Amino acid sequence: MQEEIMSAKNQAIAQISGAHDNEELEQIRIDLFGRNGKITNILRGVKNVPQDQRQQIGILINETKKTLENMLLDQKNSFKENVREWFDPTIPVPLVKIGNLHPTSVVISEMVEIFKHMGFSITEGPEIETDHYNFELLNLPKDHPARSLQDVLYIEEPETLLRSHTSSVETRSIENLKPPFRVVVAGKCYRFENVNASNNAMFYQFQGFALQKGLSLSDLKGTLFHFAKSYFGKDRKIRFRCKYYPEVEPGVGLDLNCQFCNGKGCAVCKGRGWIEMLGAGMIHPNILKNFGYKPKEITGFAFGMGLDRIVMDRFKIKDIRSLYNGDIKYS
Amino acid sequence: MKIPLNWLNEIIPLPADNGVLTDKLTMVGHMLDKRLVIDGEEVVDLELRGNRADCYSILGIAREVSAIFDTKVKLLQTLELTKVSKLLNSNLSVDTPLVKRAAMTEAFDVKITKSPAWLVKKLTAYGMESVNNIVDLTNYVMIETGEPMHAFDSDKVKGELQIRLAKEGEKMITFQGATLTLTKNDLVWSRGTEVLSVAGAIGEKYHSISETTKNILVEAANYDRANIRRSVYRHNLLTEAGIRHEKELDPNMVDNALGRFLFLLKKHGWGTPNCKIYDYYPKKLNPWKLKLNFDYLKTLAGVEIDTKTIKNILLNLNFKIIIQNRNFIEVLVPTYRTDVTLEEDLIEEVLRIYGYDNITPHVLSLEIPDDITPDYIKQENALRECATAVGFNEAITLSFVKESVSKLNIDPEKPLNTTAYLINPPSPDYKFLRMNLLCNLYELSKKTIHERAEEVRLFEIGKTYFKEKDKYFERRKIALVYYLSKDNSFNNFKSLMDSFFIKMCLSHVSYSNETYLLPLHNSFSVKLGNRIVGFAGVFDDIYYLEIDLDQILGQTKKYSVSLWPKYPPQIEDLTMVFPDRTYIGDVITSITSINRIIEKVELRDIFQNSYTFRIWYQDPNKTLTDTEVEKIRKEIITSVKNKFGGILKE
Repeated sequence: MQEEIMSAKNQAIAQISGAHDNEELEQIRIDLFGRNGKITNILRGVKNVPQDQRQQIGILINETKKTLENMLLDQKNSFKENVREWFDPTIPVPLVKIGNLHPTSVVISEMVEIFKHMGFSITEGPEIETDHYNFELLNLPKDHPARSLQDVLYIEEPETLLRSHTSSVETRSIENLKPPFRVVVAGKCYRFENVNASNNAMFYQFQGFALQKGLSLSDLKGTLFHFAKSYFGKDRKIRFRCKYYPEVEPGVGLDLNCQFCNGKGCAVCKGRGWIEMLGAGMIHPNILKNFGYKPKEITGFAFGMGLDRIVMDRFKIKDIRSLYNGDIKYS
Repeated sequence: MKIPLNWLNEIIPLPADNGVLTDKLTMVGHMLDKRLVIDGEEVVDLELRGNRADCYSILGIAREVSAIFDTKVKLLQTLELTKVSKLLNSNLSVDTPLVKRAAMTEAFDVKITKSPAWLVKKLTAYGMESVNNIVDLTNYVMIETGEPMHAFDSDKVKGELQIRLAKEGEKMITFQGATLTLTKNDLVWSRGTEVLSVAGAIGEKYHSISETTKNILVEAANYDRANIRRSVYRHNLLTEAGIRHEKELDPNMVDNALGRFLFLLKKHGWGTPNCKIYDYYPKKLNPWKLKLNFDYLKTLAGVEIDTKTIKNILLNLNFKIIIQNRNFIEVLVPTYRTDVTLEEDLIEEVLRIYGYDNITPHVLSLEIPDDITPDYIKQENALRECATAVGFNEAITLSFVKESVSKLNIDPEKPLNTTAYLINPPSPDYKFLRMNLLCNLYELSKKTIHERAEEVRLFEIGKTYFKEKDKYFERRKIALVYYLSKDNSFNNFKSLMDSFFIKMCLSHVSYSNETYLLPLHNSFSVKLGNRIVGFAGVFDDIYYLEIDLDQILGQTKKYSVSLWPKYPPQIEDLTMVFPDRTYIGDVITSITSINRIIEKVELRDIFQNSYTFRIWYQDPNKTLTDTEVEKIRKEIITSVKNKFGGILKE
């Protein structure tokens, strides 16, 4: 009987793997497991097997049955994969609504991500500010010539105004935080501007500052180079030059080579070959003194840049007003 | 400032390649703005920063070039002037500390002519128009030395002159013909009641040089720059003189500049100089001492520069070294460097000439400070994710409210608060600060609908601004707006709103009808416990939700998950009849809280006043028996009947 089973099994295996379609397979199945099928008949004959062998034969038959059934199923599935019914994956369907972030938020979070890796936290401050925090404490006393670079929007002259830069958060942070700290701020700022395609009375700045014993111009340069290379690309050229800002000493201007003309000079860079990207420097000793620090005992750096221009470049938006007036069509 | 290169080259050798010159100047702080060719002259326009008053001159830039390339500036020839207590024609008295120095000199038999070609060419290249030889010469010397000066018709200003503060309302006609009404804060030159000029800014018409002028009085002075700056801005007098006097000029260049003027006048045969000078200079400015600590320089710069290099740089910048030892160097600062008053300024001087290029960039390697990002920043970032997850696009709008929607600019919560507004708005649309996010989002939605959008889903996170009594304050908000062109309904909006709250782990909010000052239909408040944290409603078919971010800060639950229960639930539907105006949401909340094994209650169907609820009974630890469920069902029926008057429909 054992031989009979084995031979039936081998024969069936050959037949199943040789079958070409479902019909053939169905015939094989009937031949094996049908009312008069081979395996059915063998099962019927088990009762004639002597008692001592019956259990062993039973196990063998069951295994055979299982193997053949699995084979039949596998073979059937393989037909399914080879022969398929016509199906259209291009059919348009209603979409689930996906929300998207505002371009300015996207740029802010990308930048924040880079600075986080360098140990920076994030902070913010009030937009309705006082002259004290916006100017005085920043080494910008009244009648300072640099004040004319920033025409301020006043709520109550001379003290209450809309912050003209995020540096006001720097003064508030130096006042409130305990060094060492590294912080970035991204937020709305306001200046008196005749609103047109390239100027708006509300704009965004991205600012950072750090206060820690041992910080140097070399650290500032390293920080800004790391940021500029990470954000604007490793192949961009960077110019790190001396520039005056009342809030810093020594002061720094950082430019990138113009990506439109590759430094040759074009309309975008006004023929300079460079795009001014940010202002920076070591926090001015007068500011440190304003908060009771001794400039030789602790040092800090600060940097700031306008965000809107960067957002506009990144998202190919030509008119600055489009950023905040509902012109944006989200994908 | 525009620097004609030939002019500059007259007093300092320049590198053959202009690009090398402008690159270096840019690196040391005077960025090349543009290159120009004016009337055949090569001109570089440099962006000068406000602290370098000395650089608003050919001489100043020449000194910079000298320090960069280690070359020498040619001395400008001048006439020696003798100090006198009284000039031939005029005398001067000063009665205000706002004048730090005022000097006058005279020249006679002056020939007023058109300027020669060389002078016109130089002024044109710089960007000034030619007037006549004398006026042009004062401008020439100003551009060359940086010291503004003014020439009067000496015969019209004979006698006692005075520098004083103007009288309120005093009038002056400028040489360009404009009438100025002066204030008591404007400093003027005067002769009795006649105003001759606004000090440091602009001359009066009648007393200025004219074709008939025979003799001249030339003045050069140094004033309190802040006062001049205020006058300049008050009367919009950003003249060449004004932009120099509003900065900290060197009072010591006054006499040299006058000497230079007379030298050139004589050289060109335009008049006879009277080499006398009346010089009011009560407190001479002397070079001041500054120390530079080598260790501090190293700390601040992050690089070590050898002492010899430091010394050479300072010497090339005309700093005089008075002490030098292992630890520090002490210098005398030339008085034209009014910007160098601190040790840090001196360090910058060394570094900029040494070259910022030569400072090695150093990636921050100090101890990493703690993350001190406040929770509200994290909250705003998390909310952005939640709102986009339920399909809302982020909008950022102006903090100002346009005139067209200003009617909606109301504090929804406190009627007494008023809007904060600008006293100098750039336009009427940039005057009033927003008190809610509805005004601008409504305007944006209308715009989007107008662009044929079928659906609007926008959110904004931003500040609103208020004035309460004398105080200004800001509130952080998030707002959602929703509109659908077809089948716009509260249910659609509510489904998104509820999902939004679930996503932000704030599913424990409740809603209750409330009327707001804003013109919202079907308005209701959003509450956490008894505290109102926001509100919602519909305006012009646009659904609106606004939440105060500080009210929900720290109130969101921690995101958590649970495992699928191991035992099967018992599920049954109960249909109940309720009186009119029953809040079904409250019924469901109430049923859910009856027993902890009531896992979930769902509204399945509404027919007239009959509501069918599907109730999941689920014990995490065992399979519930019919008797146990039966008991809870009875509790539900009793409770609903008592609280809401709902009756089970058999």
